[in-house]
Amino acid sequence: MRVWDAFVRVAHWALACCVIAAWFARGAPHEWLGYAALAVVLLRISWGCVGPAHARFTRFVPGPSRTAAYAKRVLARREERYLGHNPLGGWMIVALLSAVILLAASGWLATTDRFWGVAWVQDLHAWLADLLVALAALHVAGVAYSSLRHRENLVAAMLTGRKRPPAAGDVFE
Amino acid sequence: MRAFVFAMLFLTASAASATGLASCDSGAKESWQSQDKLTAVLKEKGWQVRRIKVDGDCYEVYGMNEKGERVEAYFHPRTFAPVPKGAKGFKG
Repeated sequence: MRVWDAFVRVAHWALACCVIAAWFARGAPHEWLGYAALAVVLLRISWGCVGPAHARFTRFVPGPSRTAAYAKRVLARREERYLGHNPLGGWMIVALLSAVILLAASGWLATTDRFWGVAWVQDLHAWLADLLVALAALHVAGVAYSSLRHRENLVAAMLTGRKRPPAAGDVFE
Repeated sequence: MRAFVFAMLFLTASAASATGLASCDSGAKESWQSQDKLTAVLKEKGWQVRRIKVDGDCYEVYGMNEKGERVEAYFHPRTFAPVPKGAKGFKG
């Protein structure tokens, strides 16, 4: 059944492409790829407030107690399958989007007259880029783990938008 | 998964290396002129030097030129000759 709408899927892959391309690009292309990534994130955040159910933050970002309880079940290998994002996946989305916003903001700051060539701004930008790569690696590892665990190709799901209908014991959210 | 690990290793390796904007053939670091000297030379020209880094065995300077414009410029660490953008193994 259809879970991820077209906006979510295009935004996901557009952001991935912008981040990877910006990592390798230098000069003006690097800057424009960074601003494009920021634009994608801001659009995705808007969509997360007004879009369909599975795209909404309120649906997939639970509070600390529910998230901790889910994490415990993951460690015990007893976690349920979510049709949408699971709680840890939801928080990873928040972390990734925040990292891109801070990365783009620090990158822009580094181009202003006031902060041009200021070491801490440049170093912060580099550190945030490393942090984003680490988060992305963890994100892909989580996707791989969930795919194997629940025998469902989540990368394909983010391309087609379709996932297996929920069975008994699955969470619809 | 294996491809992903290799991709991440490659990303990490490329991050640790030079930016690739320019590189210099500048020999041993002991033979270089100091960064303070370069700062003094550029100040003489009316520049404001904000930061000097070593990139690709060149000195990479962030600062404002005599017109107050933002500049990111490369200099050969021995001769202080300006390095053209994109130069590889610039000999000064």
